[in-house]
Amino acid sequence: MHRRLLCGVLTLCLVFGAVGCASFTAATPQKASWLDVFDTVTGLTVYRMDGTDFYEKAEQLHHRLIDYHRLFDIYHTYEGVNNLKTVNDNAGKAVAVDPLILDLLEYGLSMYERTDGRVNILFGAVLTRWHACRTAALADPSAARLPQEAALQEANRHTAPSLLEIDRGAGTVRLTDPQASLDVGAIAKGYAAELAAAYAAEELGFTSALLDVGGNLRAIGDKGGQPFSVGVKNPDADAARPYLLTVGVANGAAVTSGDYQRYFEVDGRRYAHIIDPDTLYPATYVRAVTVLCPHSGLADALSTALFVMPVEEGMAFLQTVPEAAAVWVLADGSLRYSPNFESYILA
Amino acid sequence: MKASRKNGDVWLIAGVVAVALLLFAVLWLLAERGTAVAVTVDGKPYATYPLSQNTEVKIAGVDGGSCTLVIADGQATVVAATCPDGICVRHRAVSRGGETIVCLPNRVVVTVVGAPAVDGEV
Repeated sequence: MHRRLLCGVLTLCLVFGAVGCASFTAATPQKASWLDVFDTVTGLTVYRMDGTDFYEKAEQLHHRLIDYHRLFDIYHTYEGVNNLKTVNDNAGKAVAVDPLILDLLEYGLSMYERTDGRVNILFGAVLTRWHACRTAALADPSAARLPQEAALQEANRHTAPSLLEIDRGAGTVRLTDPQASLDVGAIAKGYAAELAAAYAAEELGFTSALLDVGGNLRAIGDKGGQPFSVGVKNPDADAARPYLLTVGVANGAAVTSGDYQRYFEVDGRRYAHIIDPDTLYPATYVRAVTVLCPHSGLADALSTALFVMPVEEGMAFLQTVPEAAAVWVLADGSLRYSPNFESYILA
Repeated sequence: MKASRKNGDVWLIAGVVAVALLLFAVLWLLAERGTAVAVTVDGKPYATYPLSQNTEVKIAGVDGGSCTLVIADGQATVVAATCPDGICVRHRAVSRGGETIVCLPNRVVVTVVGAPAVDGEV
């Protein structure tokens, strides 16, 4: 009798011991992070890959990202590179650019169609005015001011997507209006993350990895048959719960557009960085919206588009994009889900 | 012959128990530290307090009773309560995900909650 009891106890010990061991033997992921691309933090976590030499491969990916960053940059000039800043600086003239830039711009124009004008890469004339105010306010909060309404209205006359001419044959782009300017902020990071993820999967042999380009998360594969768990950040950073919920992401992208990411304050009021093309002022419909969908560039564009429309309108719009799901965080902290979102929720 | 087998059994048993205890200890030590305590009263959410912030709060329990919760050095403990048994007051300080302090007479439950372990965040 005693023997039997003892056997039971010992078996339990062994089982628990084995379970404990299993959790230890799960391979430790390898990580790398970079601060020199897309003016943000880019992180790479690789859980499984074909072959070895993680650091060498990570560095190859890093160089890819540097290339994308330099080409898509609208703020800096690089020697020997015609990038988007070159195009903006030479508005009115045709500029020969890398085919990747043509791809990005064509993708941007297609997003204008798809989002009914909510995402507009020709919105630069308006966005530069907000960007200048934000930069100035962050440098000297006492001098914080808003852009002049009249200046915004005037700038908005130079934002039609038809002002961009793309000549595939000649490999050139031209802004036909000297006042027009490109701003790819709503799509570039997500688009670059998509390109980088494809490169990492096809050329570097990453089979289970997460690439995070400043909050544009792109999952390669999954994690041992389970989706990666991704926390949706609480817009209220001081709150005890850092994540409002966690979602499962495999072979796809997740991205959040939120009013807490980049903003400045004037007279105690917060002005976030995402500008509503209808009002020319920061959108205030929701605090944040997170989009899950296979393509990281589309996820990036959709999160911006949904951020600048009321929830109900966004809910209806999303029905035209069946591969995407979204969660909105409203001003009172409550959550709204698109009908297909709940299947992604882990906790 | 019989005696020696028994002897071997004892060593085996001792070994298995020792390994199990060791694993248990290591797992416990590695258990994730919580980031906050969530307080419920009579099953309903009452408040959440971050473990990173030292504080002392009086929690209103049922029937006019109360518990005094103190958070210090990343640990939460109940230092005083109106309950007759004082079990919650004698409970050691909690700080690891899932640990709880219960004051049954006041229907107060203090649970350590952690940042869920995530692979990424957006």
